Amino acid sequence: MTKVLLIEDDGGTAEEIVAELSELGFEIEWAANGIDGLDKARTTHPDVLVVDRMLPGMDGLAVIEALRKDQVGTPVVVLSALGAVDERVRGLRSGGDDYLTKPFAVVELIARIEALLRRPTDSRETTLRVGPLELDLIERTARRDERDIELLPREFRLLEYMMRRSGQLLTRAMLLEEVWNYKFVPATTNLVDVHMGRLRHKIDGPGEPQMIHNVRGSGFILRAHQ
Amino acid sequence: MLQLQFIRSNTFRWASAVAGVFAVFVVVLFGFIYLKIDSYLIARTDRMIGMQLDFIAALPNGRRTDAISDHLGQDSRGVQFAGLYDHAGARLAGNLAGLPEGFRTDGSVQPLRAVRVGQPAGGDPLIRAVGRRLEGGDVLVIGRNVDETHEISSVVGQALALGLLPAFCLSLIAGAWLSLRAQRRVEEVNQRVRRIIAGDLRERLPHSNTNEPFSRLAAIVNGMLDEMEAMINALAGVGNDIAHDLRTPLTRARLTLERGRTHANSLEQLQEVTDKAIGGIDQSLAIITALLRLTEIENSRRSAGFGNVDLHEILREVCDVYEPIAEDKGINLGADIDRKLQVWGDRDLLFEAIANLVDNAIKFTPSGGKVSLELMRGEKETIVCVTDTGPGISEHEREAVLRRFYRSDKIRNTAGVGLGLSLVAAIVKLHGFRLTIHPGPGGRIELVCPDKQDS
Repeated sequence: MTKVLLIEDDGGTAEEIVAELSELGFEIEWAANGIDGLDKARTTHPDVLVVDRMLPGMDGLAVIEALRKDQVGTPVVVLSALGAVDERVRGLRSGGDDYLTKPFAVVELIARIEALLRRPTDSRETTLRVGPLELDLIERTARRDERDIELLPREFRLLEYMMRRSGQLLTRAMLLEEVWNYKFVPATTNLVDVHMGRLRHKIDGPGEPQMIHNVRGSGFILRAHQ
Repeated sequence: MLQLQFIRSNTFRWASAVAGVFAVFVVVLFGFIYLKIDSYLIARTDRMIGMQLDFIAALPNGRRTDAISDHLGQDSRGVQFAGLYDHAGARLAGNLAGLPEGFRTDGSVQPLRAVRVGQPAGGDPLIRAVGRRLEGGDVLVIGRNVDETHEISSVVGQALALGLLPAFCLSLIAGAWLSLRAQRRVEEVNQRVRRIIAGDLRERLPHSNTNEPFSRLAAIVNGMLDEMEAMINALAGVGNDIAHDLRTPLTRARLTLERGRTHANSLEQLQEVTDKAIGGIDQSLAIITALLRLTEIENSRRSAGFGNVDLHEILREVCDVYEPIAEDKGINLGADIDRKLQVWGDRDLLFEAIANLVDNAIKFTPSGGKVSLELMRGEKETIVCVTDTGPGISEHEREAVLRRFYRSDKIRNTAGVGLGLSLVAAIVKLHGFRLTIHPGPGGRIELVCPDKQDS
């Protein structure tokens, strides 16, 4: 069972997260301040940490720094208030950790946790395979069974990202950040959907079982059918 | 208390100090003049009595007595003294009663307490006198009263009293008046400022149209107050807009939830209601996010993330992202990028700005229209131009569209947060670029990036 340690001082938010995560089968531990959180992180060895940026006693980032100093590499999702996203927080994304701005949907948090727990397929591979789908990273070609698929560069990048994380829920925000390199929320809210619609049209031909699934209100999953 | 406060005021203190220094200076000056005149008169007297002594001494023995009485006879003011004594000290001629003891007869001028013949001793004037022993043993003494110097000193003293005292009083009065006047103005400014602090933003400081420093200062402060009043009013307007734009989706969410609570009979119906409500709340959150983003950009003074940015690549990327969206709406999105142009800036922010411009253009262009992106080179600037065949932005709306939350009346029902162009404006301002909005027909917005000044 996956162990999650939540360090969050707001009781209400913590309660919601704890309820949602335990329902999904996570084993979740909660600490209300940075010092307790650091103690629990050292003693219970969680698989992933969810840490609020602003904490009484000890700042969220200070907790992470203290853990890293002890050579603890547990992946972290930092929860940050909108106005408090600075360079240090942004830096987390490149360091294998992640951040999420409040307010967020719990689905979004779970998707991020899953993404951190399941490291993407080895990047040294030159051919990615998910079910009948095959992506050649050197030739830049895509194939479903025997059918060749013509992809635009952006579509290729999107498909590659999804194939490396097949079976995982990918939220719109994650796709915007990782595939389109967006650092902001676009004014046109269905931007991702339009692009995904086109890709799906090419991947899931008529009569073929669906591989790209739309998860209502949250995002998309690429699944090997059956 | 106000009447007496002027004594403590700076102006009055300065005026008093200046008056005091002036008085001391005048007294010293007058004293100096007095001393100068005094010594001049004494020197002149000494010279004169010396000359008379020489003159009478040179006469033959028998004529001296006559000469002395002549000399004394011409003196109507009674300031001349003379005496001729034989070798035993007995007076032969003149009006000096006797040869005083210790009087030197070597021809040097010395002060002498003179006793006039036929007058009782006491109150004798102090005169300048010179004496010489002549051949034959007689002693001749010539003297002159120098009382005039005392007269002069009294005249000088009177002049001083008549001139200095009024001048001193006058400067004190002037100082008091000036400080009272300054005090009254400060008090008036004080009261008006207090009213401004209390919230009356239309209040202004008093000033006349003169070049006087106080008036100029008041005019400057008034200019600042004008600016602040405009800004505060604008902010209050924004506050209203925010409240209104937030209330709309929240009201909708509330109504949905209320209805759902009463009428929903199944889990599916309840979920549908919740989804709708979440949608409304998400829209409110989107507004807050956009606002915070706007503040973040407006407040960021750092250009740490700045570097050389390839504008042609950004334009291509934006096209790439928006192409499918335009196509879905039946709009032709075209790009005319035949040059590689770089500007100095933040790549992500510039991407955001251009994406917002294109997003807007697509949103407001009807189906079958055309949106085009151009990258041009001006004389000393690089220009990104976004044109569309939509309604365009009319002259009187040009200022307003850059304001937060402004949405043209024609497009009130188009989805969107209404902060897009404000965001673009904030990013453009941060970079020191310019946004030019051309009048219709059709929309045409230019992002003008002046070349970086290498110093």
